[in-house]
Amino acid sequence: MKTTQVRPTGQERKFSDGELIVTKTDTRGILTYANDVFLRISALDEEEAIGQPHNLIRHPDMPRAVFKLLWDTLKERREIFAYVVNLAADGAHYWVFAHVTPSFDDSGRVVGYHSNRRVPSRSAIAAADELYGVLRAAERRHDRAQEAVAAGYATLQRVLEERGRTYDELVWDLSTNGRTR
Amino acid sequence: MGENDEALYAIADTCRQAAAGNLEARVPYLGESKAETEVRSAVNDLLDRTDAFVREAGAASAAGAAGHFYRRFLAGGMGGAYRRAAEEISRSGDAMSHNAEQIASAAESRIAFADQLESAVLALSEKIAAAAGEMGRSANGLAGFARSAVGDAERGLETVTELRRSSGQIRHAVDLINRVAMQTQLLSLNASIEAARAGAAGRGFSVVANEVKTLANETGESSGEIIDQVDAVQLASEDAVRVLKAVTDRIREMSGLIDGIAAAVDGDTVHETTGLSELAEVLRVEVQRFLTAARA
Repeated sequence: MKTTQVRPTGQERKFSDGELIVTKTDTRGILTYANDVFLRISALDEEEAIGQPHNLIRHPDMPRAVFKLLWDTLKERREIFAYVVNLAADGAHYWVFAHVTPSFDDSGRVVGYHSNRRVPSRSAIAAADELYGVLRAAERRHDRAQEAVAAGYATLQRVLEERGRTYDELVWDLSTNGRTR
Repeated sequence: MGENDEALYAIADTCRQAAAGNLEARVPYLGESKAETEVRSAVNDLLDRTDAFVREAGAASAAGAAGHFYRRFLAGGMGGAYRRAAEEISRSGDAMSHNAEQIASAAESRIAFADQLESAVLALSEKIAAAAGEMGRSANGLAGFARSAVGDAERGLETVTELRRSSGQIRHAVDLINRVAMQTQLLSLNASIEAARAGAAGRGFSVVANEVKTLANETGESSGEIIDQVDAVQLASEDAVRVLKAVTDRIREMSGLIDGIAAAVDGDTVHETTGLSELAEVLRVEVQRFLTAARA
């Protein structure tokens, strides 16, 4: 179990096109399953990961607003796509194109969440990095977490409005401009 | 082999759950041996990819059905048959997107056509209504004109008939004058004979008798001239009567034709026909109804 804060080294780690990073969490976001690829890329042992909250691999460069959007969408029982930069336990980082979906039981109840992550295109990473820089800047003007999230979220909405796209459309614009098709 | 039974049962259990459609199931930790680790990793990888494919297939199809064609099937991490099926689903998504675009553009051109038709029909029905109004007013004006012309002609006919009758009376009077003149001539002749027989005493009377004869002759000549004039007037008035009757008949015919035009324009309550202005309005309403349906 890692309790010490991991410091990003700036080293980027990659995984191959044919690989899928898979994790599952319960409804509270606690990891219940992680596949081999996840463990390898995140530099974690299985027992270090399972039972931990998913933000175990949260990178400080990720805007809080993206996670708010992610959880808001999942609460509505909808799928969400997001470009995410994650932090491995050894300080390396890796970009993924995440597809997060609720898992339902036979009666339609949400029993947890499932995340498939694929290799994003370089152009999508560059575009997401740029957008997140803008959101991060808006969030860093606030000390209180709640205000920071609200500021980042408002900035995201403004960006979308300026581009005349929904969040989903923007994400898919990025993915279809690149390799993922 | 007996010591591995527990691990094998665990794998079997996971596979049965997955086979039953529970793709949440994964093989738990079996043990630390290389074989145990490898088997668990392989089965879970199979389940992860199947799970990913099922989630993608469901979500991509749902997005396509909802018209969110930007949401593609993510073929990343999919190999072989998985990838081929993914590409198949992507292609059907493209086809749906293409169809949706075609339907949208067909709807657009239908709306554009409806707009064009609407403005054309509106303009047309307005013009027809305006022309019909103008025609109706002209026809009514003409009908009024024809009525008053018939009235005038009838009054003219009366006047000429009256003229004919008075000229007949004049002729009668002149005939009488003529007979009186002839009688007077005979009387003056007899008076001249009687005056000659009286000799010198009758000379003065003979002069008077001559004067009377001359007067009677002049009267007879004048009467003849008057009769000629009256005959000419009678001939002329007969002509005038014929002409006036013909004119009146023509105007009556024209009046009937004008009534026909007015009926075509304004409608006819007797034969329950619809007038041109009303037809233009009916056309406009019908086209409007059609367009409302077409735009829906």
